[in-house]
Amino acid sequence: MEKRAEVGIIGGGIIGLATAYELASRGFRDLVVLTASFPGDGSTFRCASGIRASFTTREHIVLMRESIRKWIEWTRGELGRLGLRFMQKGYLWLASTEERVRAYEESIRLQNKLGVPTRLVDPDEAKRIVPVLDTRHLVAALHDPTAGKASPFKTVHALVMYLKSHGIPIHTYTRAEKIEEREEGFRVETSRGTYFFEKLVVAAGAGSPRLLSQLGIETMIKNIPRHAILTEHYKPVIGPLVVDPDTPGAPYIIQTGHGGFYIGRKIPETPETEPYSLKIDYPSLAIKPLLKWFPWLINVTVLRHWMGHYVTTPDHHPIIGPVPGHRNLYVSTGYSGHGYMLSPAAAEIIADYILEGKPKWTEAYRLNIMRIWRGDYIHETAIVG
Amino acid sequence: MDKRAIVCRCLDITVEDVEKAIEMGYTDFESLRRYLGIGFGPCQGRHCYPIVLRILAEKTGRKLEDLPAPRMRPPIIPIPAYILAAARGEGDGEEG
Repeated sequence: MEKRAEVGIIGGGIIGLATAYELASRGFRDLVVLTASFPGDGSTFRCASGIRASFTTREHIVLMRESIRKWIEWTRGELGRLGLRFMQKGYLWLASTEERVRAYEESIRLQNKLGVPTRLVDPDEAKRIVPVLDTRHLVAALHDPTAGKASPFKTVHALVMYLKSHGIPIHTYTRAEKIEEREEGFRVETSRGTYFFEKLVVAAGAGSPRLLSQLGIETMIKNIPRHAILTEHYKPVIGPLVVDPDTPGAPYIIQTGHGGFYIGRKIPETPETEPYSLKIDYPSLAIKPLLKWFPWLINVTVLRHWMGHYVTTPDHHPIIGPVPGHRNLYVSTGYSGHGYMLSPAAAEIIADYILEGKPKWTEAYRLNIMRIWRGDYIHETAIVG
Repeated sequence: MDKRAIVCRCLDITVEDVEKAIEMGYTDFESLRRYLGIGFGPCQGRHCYPIVLRILAEKTGRKLEDLPAPRMRPPIIPIPAYILAAARGEGDGEEG
C-alpha cells in the first residue's frame, strides 16, 4: 500500500527540514519528509556553521541578508525555545596584500549598497574584534558584523522537535531509490516502501543529482569533498569566523558554541569521492597556515577529522524553484557550501512557490535551473573552503 | 543503574540525560552523539560508547549485537597541534 501526502520532501538535511518547517508554520500540514538516515546526517552536520551576507553577487548578498533576518527571528521564536541559537559574532576576512584590500573595497561597496554594513578595519581594530589574533602580518580586514554562526546540531534538533509537535512525519532511514513522474504526481520507491506525492520537493543535497537524473533533469552539480578538523573544547576566545583568502585553500577557523576550534582549508579533491576517504596529511595542512595568525594554536589538541560534500553548481549558486516541463516538481539543492546559512530564506522561497505560486524576492528567480541549462551563470568570488 | 551516574566523563553526561534523549527519539548512538555531544569529547566515545549502547539496548528492547557500531573518525588518539605543525610540507591548497 502506498503512503500518500500532498507534498513530499526528499531530504532530511537543513534544506528539507527548514522547508517543512516553513510550510508547517504557515498552516500547511499534508506533508512528509523522507531522509536516508537520521536528520542532518549529510552535509548539514558536517558543515562549519558559518552564516554571512558578505558575498559578491546581488543574489547571494540579498538572500543571505534576508536569511540572517530569519535566523534572528527563528532564534527569538519557537525554534529558539527549542534550542536554536544564531550567535551574531561576525566574520573577519583577513588581507595580507594591498590587492586583496582593493578587492574588499569593491565588495564592500556592493554589500553596503544592498544593506549589508561590512567595512574595512585596520589591524588595531581587527585586534579589538579578535583579541587573540596576531596582526603582525595583517594589512587590513573586512569585517561583517551581521554574520554569525549556529550549531547545526541544535538547529536540526529544534526543527525536528517543531515538526514532530506539529504532526509532520519525518521518515528516517527511508532512502529514496526511484522517482517516477505520473500524470497526477510522483511515485517514490524507497528503502522502506512506496510513496505517492502530488507535489515533490527534491532537497537531497549530494543525493539530488542522482534522483533528478531519473527524471531526465541535468543539474551539472558536482559533489566536491571538503575536509574539516575539530579541536578539544576551550573557553570562547574567537567570536567571528576568521578566514585568510590570501593563503591557497583559504584556511579558516570558527569556534563552535561548545568551544572547539573548527578548522577548514580547501585542498585538491576529486568530485564524487565518498566522504570516507580521509587524507592523513590534511590535519597538518589545515592547521599550519593558521599558526601565522594564531601562534597559540600550537598548544591545542586535534580530536577529529572528517569530510563532507560541497554540492556544487557551475556558478556556486543554488538551484531553487520549479523545473520547466515538470509540473509540481520543486528543486532546492546545489548550495555549493552555503546551504546551511541560506536555509531559512531557501525554505521561504520553496514555500512561496508551493503556496503562493512565486517567491517574494526577485533575486530568487534567477536561481532556477534554466540558468544552468543556458549557461547564464552568476559569478561569485567570495568562496571559503 | 543510578540515574545520576556519569556516562560521559568528558562532558559530564548522566544516565538520566541519555535516557531522556532516547525518549525524545534519539535511538541510535550517532544521533545521540549529535544531540547530547556524548562521544564528542576528548575520548571520542571510546569510554562512553559501550555504556551508551547498553542503555540503548535496555531502553529500546533491542539486542546489543543488533545495534550499529559507531562511525570512527581519525585520529585514533587526540593529536597535539605541535606534532601536526612539525610535519613537512605546506600543502598545495587550492585558491579559495
